[in-house]
Amino acid sequence: MPAAESLVWVAAVTAVIWAGVFSYCLALDRRVRRLEDGE
Amino acid sequence: MNRRTVRNWALGLWMLIVIWAAFFYAPAAQGFKGESARIVFFHVPQAWVAVLAFCVNLIASLRYMRTRDPLDDARAATAARLGLIFSILATVTGSLFARVMWGSFWNWDPREVSIAILLLVYAAYFALREAIPDDERRASLSASYAVLAFVTMPFLIFVVPRIYWSLHPDTIINTRGSLDMESRMFQTLMGSLAGFTWLFFWLYSLDVRLARVKIARQAREGE
Repeated sequence: MPAAESLVWVAAVTAVIWAGVFSYCLALDRRVRRLEDGE
Repeated sequence: MNRRTVRNWALGLWMLIVIWAAFFYAPAAQGFKGESARIVFFHVPQAWVAVLAFCVNLIASLRYMRTRDPLDDARAATAARLGLIFSILATVTGSLFARVMWGSFWNWDPREVSIAILLLVYAAYFALREAIPDDERRASLSASYAVLAFVTMPFLIFVVPRIYWSLHPDTIINTRGSLDMESRMFQTLMGSLAGFTWLFFWLYSLDVRLARVKIARQAREGE
């Protein structure tokens, strides 16, 4: 695989990992806000 | 959309820009195999956040010793947990770099050994916490342990790797006190450092807010 193409793949995988982490944080943020509102 | 939501989405976008910059804006580093040096844009900020988290752990532990507030204990535990997670991430990304550059995931380099010891020191912090059922006793003993654990951190992270010869490149941390880095690489690294620090404080605040709700609930049940 050419170097430029494999770099695109690694960048895409990194972006997907970040999307996962970010979604988890957003979900946790929503959960915390719900719990705070329920207090 | 409130201010907090805007801030969260801004971080999401910021990190996507950092990822783009790390792979397509910054040039390939000289003297490294292929594109392997690009991992520095993630490895160094992860190590930095681990150090920051252990500093926050120390501050919260010292505060707990003064105030005896269970929320300060929760702050200390959260910081240590995040410090441990980011240390593991820094170790994993470092091992990937080591495999490409030096042919093996683990080379018994002073920095590798130092971070392994640091991981054990902070893993013991959680072993200690799990071993004590009483809340107040657990909080005060772990605060004392956290102060002792922190003493090892600057020694293991900053002193040991400088005393012994290391395989690690000295472009960022060196005895000359200078950053030997191309300007686009430097901008990307700074952007990534800012993003990871931001992520740390977001995760930290979420966990502390969760602990605050839990403590308030426990207090109500105790009444």
